[in-house]
Amino acid sequence: MSDGREKSAWRRFADWVNGDSEPIDRTTQYVMNRRPPRQEEPPELHEQRERLRLKKFLGLYPLAAGFLCVALIAILFATVIYIPPFGQPGNPTNNEVSRHYLEYTEEETGATNAVTGMILSYRGFDTLGESCVLFLAVSSVMMLLQRDKNNTDEQTLHRLRREDAIERTHPDNILRKSAKLLTPFILLFALYVLFNGEISPGGGFSGGAILGGGLILYSSAYGPEQLSRLLTRSLYDTVRITGLMAYALTYGIYIFAGANGIKLEMEWMMIVIDLAVGLVVACTIYGFYTMFQRGKV
Amino acid sequence: MTILENILLAGLIICAAAAPLCKRLLATVIVYLAFSVILAVLWSMLQSPDLAITEAAVGTGISGILFFLTLKKIRALKGTRDE
Amino acid sequence: MLEAIVQNRFAVVAVILFGIGLLNMMLQQNLMKKVIGFSIMDSAVFLLLASLGYIEGHGAPIIDEGSVNASLYINPIPSGLVLTGIVVSVSVTAFSLALIQRIYQRYGTIELHELLERAKKEED
Repeated sequence: MSDGREKSAWRRFADWVNGDSEPIDRTTQYVMNRRPPRQEEPPELHEQRERLRLKKFLGLYPLAAGFLCVALIAILFATVIYIPPFGQPGNPTNNEVSRHYLEYTEEETGATNAVTGMILSYRGFDTLGESCVLFLAVSSVMMLLQRDKNNTDEQTLHRLRREDAIERTHPDNILRKSAKLLTPFILLFALYVLFNGEISPGGGFSGGAILGGGLILYSSAYGPEQLSRLLTRSLYDTVRITGLMAYALTYGIYIFAGANGIKLEMEWMMIVIDLAVGLVVACTIYGFYTMFQRGKV
Repeated sequence: MTILENILLAGLIICAAAAPLCKRLLATVIVYLAFSVILAVLWSMLQSPDLAITEAAVGTGISGILFFLTLKKIRALKGTRDE
Repeated sequence: MLEAIVQNRFAVVAVILFGIGLLNMMLQQNLMKKVIGFSIMDSAVFLLLASLGYIEGHGAPIIDEGSVNASLYINPIPSGLVLTGIVVSVSVTAFSLALIQRIYQRYGTIELHELLERAKKEED
């Protein structure tokens, strides 16, 4: 009997490898679905045994975790002693790739800031994937926290309405005045960092983050409705998707032209990519804030 | 410069060790934000101003806001107006 | 050996921070503190990467007009990699915080012990 069962198990395994999903026969299904025999012993004895098991696990776990961490850190320390000395020009990380980037960035991409030139043109695919990560992150946060009628009860709605009423009747004057004063300058600074990223420190990521920060300041001072009347959900989605699409298209043209030896003006492409990254980052950050704050854009 | 660098590195370790040992979650988050500020200064000392700007905007500002909003949602902010 | 530690101080600090973050992630019972430990681990990796590109006495990689000399600037590659990494680490933090909020809505606690107990009780 054991032979036959083994054979069938092997065949099931082979089928599983081949991708043929064969329904499990009834006996195995029964065996697999059956819970551990609990009715044979009194429930409190079972519970006591489970608790003991959990206690043993919880006593052993910190020891094992601490030992693992200490062993890992010891290995890392032993490695650190052998890595090349800090800050020397002859280190293996400072190879001909970085020399090429430094010498030819201005000529090939038109950017004087080598970091921006590198992440937006030489390593543009990397940044494109990273923008996709941001896009997916804000989408999954929306999935988790968006408020609709299925996951909101009357109590939460009541609490939210009360909070809004408090906000409206007791506005924070200091916050409002300073936000009114600061928001234009923050947005201006964000645009400066965004568009000037090629010749000075900055670029899409930092500019977009500052842009999102300015939006958050305005939204937190004047209440969420004020801004969401201007930046509706559809506009927000449009900006987010347009940014990613513009990036993909522009970089696709850039790569295609480069591969086929077509000479194109690169200057505007860098600015478009920069702007696209900035918009995606700003939308991501503002989306995080509104989702965390009240569950809708 | 090296002395300042060493002080900042020591501050990093102290902040990282102290942050999770605080009893209140609010204190934990604030010490973690101090960690981010020290890191931003270190980036600028490592001659990477791009990183310093991004860390100051993102690591300190944005993640601070997200942490505080989460604390509010999980009702760990005692003594605020909602309680 | 002491000399090696002093010379590679950034790498040593990165290893210590990584260890602190890992210990926190494995041993803390509070989910928020686990997330903070994770962020500390992120920062440790970034610190190691950025310190690998630094060259003593060289300036930031913003090239002056006319004087294209690679031996004046630091290595731009680690800076670019870390720049993308910082933004991604914040989005990972935001995603974990959103998960924590959902867990709190569902179970009413973020302490791991109580969470396991309540989940088990609900399952039975």
